Amino acid sequence: MENFNFILSEIFISISIMILLLVGVFKKNSSNLVYSLAIIVLVISLGLIFNSHSKDEIYFFKDSYKIDQLSIFMKIITIISGIFVLIASFNYIKSEKIFKIEYGILILCSILGMLVMISAYDLIVFYIGLELQSLALYVLAAFNRNNIKSSEAGLKYFVLSALSSGILLYGCSLIYGYSGTTNFDLIAKNILLTELGNVFGLVFILVGLAFKISAVPFHMWAPDVYEGSPTSVTLFFAIVPKVAALTVIIRFLYVPFVTLIDQWQVIIIFLSLASMIFGAIAAIGQKNLKRLIAYSSIGHMGYALAGLAVGTNSGIQNSIIYICIYLIMNLGIFCCLFTLKRNDKFYDNVEDLSGLSKNHPLISFSFLILLFSLAGIPPLAGFFAKFYIFISVIEESMYFLAIVGLLSSVISAFYYLRIIKIIYFDEATDKFDQVNDLGLKITLCLSTIIILLYFIYPSALIDLVTNINII
Amino acid sequence: MIAHSLFFYFFSFIAIISAIMVTASKNTVHSVFFLILDFISISCLFIMIGAEFLGMIMLIVYVGAVAVLFLFVVMMLNVAQQNSELIQKNNKYTHLPIGLIVSLIIFFELIIVIGGWKFKPDIISSNYISINSNITNTHSIGNVLYTDYIHLFQLSGIILLVAMIGAIVLTFKKRSGIKRQSYIEQISREKSTGVSLIDVESNKGVNIDD
Repeated sequence: MENFNFILSEIFISISIMILLLVGVFKKNSSNLVYSLAIIVLVISLGLIFNSHSKDEIYFFKDSYKIDQLSIFMKIITIISGIFVLIASFNYIKSEKIFKIEYGILILCSILGMLVMISAYDLIVFYIGLELQSLALYVLAAFNRNNIKSSEAGLKYFVLSALSSGILLYGCSLIYGYSGTTNFDLIAKNILLTELGNVFGLVFILVGLAFKISAVPFHMWAPDVYEGSPTSVTLFFAIVPKVAALTVIIRFLYVPFVTLIDQWQVIIIFLSLASMIFGAIAAIGQKNLKRLIAYSSIGHMGYALAGLAVGTNSGIQNSIIYICIYLIMNLGIFCCLFTLKRNDKFYDNVEDLSGLSKNHPLISFSFLILLFSLAGIPPLAGFFAKFYIFISVIEESMYFLAIVGLLSSVISAFYYLRIIKIIYFDEATDKFDQVNDLGLKITLCLSTIIILLYFIYPSALIDLVTNINII
Repeated sequence: MIAHSLFFYFFSFIAIISAIMVTASKNTVHSVFFLILDFISISCLFIMIGAEFLGMIMLIVYVGAVAVLFLFVVMMLNVAQQNSELIQKNNKYTHLPIGLIVSLIIFFELIIVIGGWKFKPDIISSNYISINSNITNTHSIGNVLYTDYIHLFQLSGIILLVAMIGAIVLTFKKRSGIKRQSYIEQISREKSTGVSLIDVESNKGVNIDD
């Protein structure tokens, strides 16, 4: 009999989704209760993952579900960021009047899908996890149905994502046709370099995955969806699904397609270069902060992909470090956005920040730290994240990738610094409301402190990641 | 064998033609009918390769439920009329060139793939797929669906649950100002709460606004 200790967290989340639904239906006005129960469910499942920590690689369900160091680490990151997203966005959801019982439940469903994706070791399991994740995200994007932009975002995301899922499935079917199996290990064994069909399957799958992490040229949906969705959902979009998608890309590249490295390396390098350049240039003209973050996240995905392109263990590890630090920075930035509230209205334009430092010195300081870190200025965490990526890129003597990365990081520093200039040197406008939400304050403080003090003890994160060996 | 291949080409020809017609026909109702035709011919193909369970499921689920549901939706929304008006108004097809280019590129790519394939039937080693011919299709699907693939079965259930939640979240509106029936209240009504007896004294008349 298989040892179900290791998948207890998934089982627990799926059972609690149903229980929470029942609670929400039969108890009146239980939005508050369901929301906090959802947070507690996530905390408990985090505990369950820690409880079943193991050094070995364990397979479930005829080798279609794998628990190893990579999946455990990524699951922990996913759940922790999910918890902080829920804590930080509590007040926003309440004051935007989209506080329904389904909100927390849909987030749980989406996280369940991500956990399945992260552990997937089989094409079918991977696809089911992906669909579970994105179906919940479509609904969340359109959650504020009184707002026409939110509905537009949901519809756009749904149509484009369905198209990309179709392309991805087509790639999966090609791979299945040519290798005769859906299991990742067996695909790696059966795949033949001489068959062109395998390469086509690989390309179609990579297109679908690049869409999910919004890498150029499959990024078109990201700015509109980020801007249209409620800010709390944008926060979720911006950080949590990227972890799962990145894990899946790592798995695909380094398990079933590891023999095709010459083919996919070119594709990944192109995606990475295009995302870095486009993310740096397109964000310059943006006036809306959420759009700007969308473009900046496209650029950051480019850096994360650069680490994967090199094909070494250290490259993968540095990509994982990059995505962790990216999560923390974006969490902080969105917490700052949640504080920009005046008379029950949230502001998200760049001009609204004008002279923020005069009225709100602490929030402005967090903004300053986080934006400097996003721009990659030492000694903040964002600098180290980029530094590690460049080290592993240069070790494999891919100088062109490193040079373009450096240049686009300099270009992108322009728009981050422009925001800082607007905050610190422009005319002050009216004061924003005082923040009373403890959860939001704690999240903002934590992320700022981690980013600020990362350089004192960087090996805390590095030691965790060095256990992850894929190749 | 000739009869077999005749049937095969007959059904696959109809399947391809009707798939094209689904996208090509201007009337939405016709599209749905072609979709049904497509499903039926594909289920015939399934039956021909001996997968009778899949063929029947295809008929029941896709034709019986999904397509008919589509038909109802299309008829209720009156999309057919709106669409044809829209097409008549701007008859320019500005999107056609780009669409053609993209689909042509994908088409040529696929031609190249098939050219590289060189019709080698032995490319797929079928060691991983063991088919036991002693038991029926239904039996063998059931054998793996609830054992090896139980996690996929359960997760698909959760996907359907999410779809249901999503549909309710996005469309359900609590309307105010309408009277709702409460069955519990109605059934538990008793004589003491429903009827009040008033003793009207005779010869007193009625006092209004005293």
